[in-house]
Amino acid sequence: MDHVDHILIVDDDREIRELVADYLRKNGLRVDVAADGRQMRAFLAANTVDLVVLDLMMPGDDGLTLTRELRAGKHRAVPILMLTARADETDRVIGLEMGADDYLTKPFAARELLARIKAVLRRTRMLPPNLQVSEAGQRLKFGKWRLDTTERHLLAPDDTVVALSGAEYRLLRVFVDHPQRVLNRDQLLSLTQGRESDIFDRSIDLLVSRLRQRLDDDAREPKYIKTIRSEGYVFSMAVEIAEARP
Amino acid sequence: MSAAVGAAGAAGARLRWPRTLGSRLFLILLAGLAVAHALSFSVLFLERYMAAKAVMLDTLERDIATSVAILDRLPAKERPEWIAPLDRGTYGYVLGPGTPGTPQLSERANEIAAKIRAAIGGRYTVTVETIPGAQEHLQAHLRLGDGSALTVDIKPAMRPLTRWLPYVLVIQLVLLVLCSWFAVRLAIRPLVRLAQAADTLDLSKDAPRLQESGPAEVAYAATAFNAMRDRITHYLQERVQILAAISHDLQTPITRMKLRAEVADESPERGKLLQDLTEIERLVREGITYAKSAHGDAEKPARVDLASFLESLVFDYQDTGNPVTLRNGAAVTLQTRTHALRRILTNLIDNALKFGAAAEVEAEADAQALTIRVLDRGPGIPEEHLEAVMQPFFRLEQSRNRGTGGTGLGLAIAQQLAQAIGATLALSNRAGGGLQAQLRIPLH
Repeated sequence: MDHVDHILIVDDDREIRELVADYLRKNGLRVDVAADGRQMRAFLAANTVDLVVLDLMMPGDDGLTLTRELRAGKHRAVPILMLTARADETDRVIGLEMGADDYLTKPFAARELLARIKAVLRRTRMLPPNLQVSEAGQRLKFGKWRLDTTERHLLAPDDTVVALSGAEYRLLRVFVDHPQRVLNRDQLLSLTQGRESDIFDRSIDLLVSRLRQRLDDDAREPKYIKTIRSEGYVFSMAVEIAEARP
Repeated sequence: MSAAVGAAGAAGARLRWPRTLGSRLFLILLAGLAVAHALSFSVLFLERYMAAKAVMLDTLERDIATSVAILDRLPAKERPEWIAPLDRGTYGYVLGPGTPGTPQLSERANEIAAKIRAAIGGRYTVTVETIPGAQEHLQAHLRLGDGSALTVDIKPAMRPLTRWLPYVLVIQLVLLVLCSWFAVRLAIRPLVRLAQAADTLDLSKDAPRLQESGPAEVAYAATAFNAMRDRITHYLQERVQILAAISHDLQTPITRMKLRAEVADESPERGKLLQDLTEIERLVREGITYAKSAHGDAEKPARVDLASFLESLVFDYQDTGNPVTLRNGAAVTLQTRTHALRRILTNLIDNALKFGAAAEVEAEADAQALTIRVLDRGPGIPEEHLEAVMQPFFRLEQSRNRGTGGTGLGLAIAQQLAQAIGATLALSNRAGGGLQAQLRIPLH
């Protein structure tokens, strides 16, 4: 029997909670709800879930406090999707630094939430064991580069920011999350399609060549992303967690 | 010393008053001091003159009596030897009838004549005459006891001014100028500083405050200025807080409405409702962004590679099917607030896409600045509105609906953020049609 993903929604607004729960249930997920930190703790004491959707702005313990608490306890590996009220860069950064895996700005569409939940689940399931604990807010180091997963850009050795487009970041993220593993084009495509807003997704080959350019990687003799003929690509550089953001 | 007075006098009533307060104060101070100085100098000079004259006349009276008595008692052939020792510089003695002159006497000559008569008039008959010439010249004629003529030759003159006196005067003048200049500077400088502070008012917390030191009035003005700055900061914060509070309170009902609409059955009304909700949502979001951009974000500047920055931005558009092209990038790294710069450029590109259907981005750098241009081939903007479109909520077509008009904040946000990162944003119409938005970022 297939595993049914179990989601816990923590939001102080009853109607939003119920509407979201209904929608997600309709789409084949198992959903429970909690109105605040107290209910969340009570529920998680007796259950395990696959993902927590957490509202940032709540009376009592807010989303940041609860995220920190989750990351410190036995549920430290559970993916967290944060709902923020403001489309503010700093809020996003804070949320991700605190250990959320992704965020969604209110008001959001239920379809978008579903897509994000699936993307986060897919991504975290395929993580290698050394990166199992959410590494958001940290910097990943490979070769001469560091990848800032909060700001979604590369940092050169001299701290110069090398920006990445959304698609480039997602592809690099997939590679970095699966180092030394051969990934075929279909796998790469399905793993990079996190958000459904990207209707015109580029072909993987084009994205790989752009990414090599960003990484100063020589296409004929690549050090980072190697082409495996008739199979796909492999990220051949070792990935480690660098220092947390200052 | 009298140069300033002279200049002021020469130009007369229609004299153009200098423009700066500094030069006005300087002029007033200098003129006043110079006149006062000139007055006191003249008084001193007059006093000296009168004192000297009194001394001279007294001496003349006593001396002339003695000298004439000596000459009268000497034998006629010994007299010439005594002429030289008796010469006093301003007056001397000539044996003989002297030069003929006119009996008309000036006021001073009369005084001298009176003194001479008082000294020797009792014993001799004295006639005093003026000898015509450039300099005042008097001669007193008399006959000695033996009948020979004697002339007292007088050239009344003040003792000449000491040679160092002009230097002292020049030094005094220089001192006057320096002191006036210093005083004016002292008075003007705080004012200039205050104006500059108001001009470059940066409300971010780490901007230096005006120094609250110096003379009492200056310190008071600085304190008042800083207090005003704090009040402005407070109002701005309040504005942002109000907007944030409103938007937060709006977001929950909007979220509910959106979710409700989504679970509802498919119908034309549902689609329209969702569209309206998206509009409201955007307005709320832009409103907050505008309020925040007004007083600079707390974002820290970072060094960024411009080529990858522009490419990733353009690729993001291309990947979502928007016709945005990068014509040429500039291979520079610059220190800037990346979120703000990204926001400026996306607003400009969104604008270009909305009105021109396609957008081109190009960048070039010289030694001073980096110029990024966003170009379209849309209808452009009438020249007279090029400035006004950067005002919040300004719309070219008042009738235009939100569907194409946006929130009316995009360019205003871009402009404020440009200011916040020290850049300038200028719009212009392109030759051949279309709009060019040019962002110029100084490279330090």
